[in-house]
Amino acid sequence: MTLLLIIAVLLLILFGAPIFAVIGGLALFLLFSSEIDSSAMIIEMYRIATTPILVAIPLFTFAGYLLSESGAPKRLIRLSDAILGWLPGGLSIIALFTCAIFTALTGATGLTIIALGGILFPAMLQGRYPERFSLGLLTTSGTLGLLFPPSLPLIIYAIVAKVGIDQLFLAGILPGVLLIILLSAFNIQKATFSEIPRTKFNVSEVFKAMSEMIWELPLPIVVLGGIYSGYFVVSEAAAITAAYVLLIEVVIYRDIKWQELPRIMRKSMVLVGGVLIILGAALGLTNYLIDEEVPMRMLDFFKSHITSPFVFLVVLNFFLLAVGCIMGIFSALTVVVPLITPIAHAYGIHPIHLGIIFLTNLEIGASIPPLGINLFISSIRFEKPVLRLYLASLPFIAILLVGLAIITYIPWLSLALLK
Amino acid sequence: MNPVRNSSGASNPARIILEPDPAAEQQPIISNGVNRWERADEVIDRVEQTSLVILLSVMILFALLQIVLRNVFSTGLAWGDPLVRNLVLWVGFIGAALATREGKHINIDVFSRWLPSLGKNFVEVINHLFSFFICCLLCLAALKFIKNEAQMGNVIFSRIPAWVPQIILPITFGLMAFRFGLRSLKSFFMIVKIGSIRNQEGKT
Repeated sequence: MTLLLIIAVLLLILFGAPIFAVIGGLALFLLFSSEIDSSAMIIEMYRIATTPILVAIPLFTFAGYLLSESGAPKRLIRLSDAILGWLPGGLSIIALFTCAIFTALTGATGLTIIALGGILFPAMLQGRYPERFSLGLLTTSGTLGLLFPPSLPLIIYAIVAKVGIDQLFLAGILPGVLLIILLSAFNIQKATFSEIPRTKFNVSEVFKAMSEMIWELPLPIVVLGGIYSGYFVVSEAAAITAAYVLLIEVVIYRDIKWQELPRIMRKSMVLVGGVLIILGAALGLTNYLIDEEVPMRMLDFFKSHITSPFVFLVVLNFFLLAVGCIMGIFSALTVVVPLITPIAHAYGIHPIHLGIIFLTNLEIGASIPPLGINLFISSIRFEKPVLRLYLASLPFIAILLVGLAIITYIPWLSLALLK
Repeated sequence: MNPVRNSSGASNPARIILEPDPAAEQQPIISNGVNRWERADEVIDRVEQTSLVILLSVMILFALLQIVLRNVFSTGLAWGDPLVRNLVLWVGFIGAALATREGKHINIDVFSRWLPSLGKNFVEVINHLFSFFICCLLCLAALKFIKNEAQMGNVIFSRIPAWVPQIILPITFGLMAFRFGLRSLKSFFMIVKIGSIRNQEGKT
């Protein structure tokens, strides 16, 4: 029976049924079979949709969509080109940076590939980067920003695992930087090897590009500075970010016309709605599972087979990579996190460190063949066969896995900034 | 259902199968009923779009107002925070209903991309029917929830009954059920159409 249920759920998910419907359906079925009223699920949904911290989600997402529709991506590429263009592989490093920043802001990994891929892919080909390398880079960089504040998956993890969101924001920074450094090193090596032409460093261009971005540069300070000076809570920082971005993009830069706002609001809220409804459905499901003491039973099973935290983390990594590859980031976060946190706690893993492990795994899992979602989005965006993208992304995945191992086994990276 | 095999061959004009031209939509094969519902859905869409813009703007304004009041005047509206939180609920759920209309619910579409077009449509009908069914159940559950809340007489903002902001839950699930129902009908008619096109081609 259980096996049949699992097969049905997997088939529905893999054939493209909406995740929220599959999860919600499973929850309703389980509630029904243990004779609990189905409105229990709605209570959960309402409770989660009105938690104070959730206010941050629509506000940050709206701000991110505004930025992605404005001239900010172009300005950002110009500025990073002025600063980093002289490096060997400069353009590929710029691609890494801009992708990371955009995913952090919009929270939608697919959006980064779709929005920035269109600018960066032709630019890289023009800069004489091999096509396969460019494809692999852009596919895997789509999720690179997940560890940086204020990314949507970070907020979701904090809500689901009930950890401090401000702490999680800080914890992601060093591991995120590590992944970028590793990939940049690979890019530099590759670019030197295939003799890609470089540009000269030009101080006046740096200043020009900076003055062009002068209004957007304070944004990280608004987001992070406000929170860590203790001046605002996270949801307030989100409100200020949304209002500030609205002001600069619509009134100062005039990149976005007033008439365009309803469309952008709609686009961003469609994403928020899609995430919120999965979150609601998943909490209904996990609440049932926790009432049934499923995590406790899983823990007993783990305890009897695995004694060392080291081995547990290895198993966890493989499991989460598979989950990220098959289920996608949002559904994995909402369903798997509540089940794993008590087990990880029993092995003495710091809850914040666990969050970073989770997000890094899911981020990499989203680019892993055969089912990683990034591969398919890239395949559509760049009009290349999926198999080609499998091959193109392999070297990047290998490097990210090295990063993952470092992040997993050196908790210091995640926890250093907290103290 | 032999024609399925032929579809991957070059002999069939792929254009007809992959993107039927808009004129073909008007053919009597898609019943007028579906078209009428489709138009009703467009009206609902405009209502949602307008409310979404208003609610999100109010949300940003009040969130800002609260910050200014707190930091500058060391005060705040007692109902400001619950208002903003309930606006998040509304904005999010309207967004979810719109996601249904645009077919933008988060899903992992892995297998069906390798299916032939008829199989793809078939899978779509199943997915939409399944989602329709689940949304109906969720709508019922939400109605029960509202009923309980109304009986308990909870209030928010000190005066308004709690079920008033909560009413968006059954509305959204009802609307989503309607939209998934509409989509499954459309996918179903698409199968019928592809079938009939193939039959004609088979004869000629």
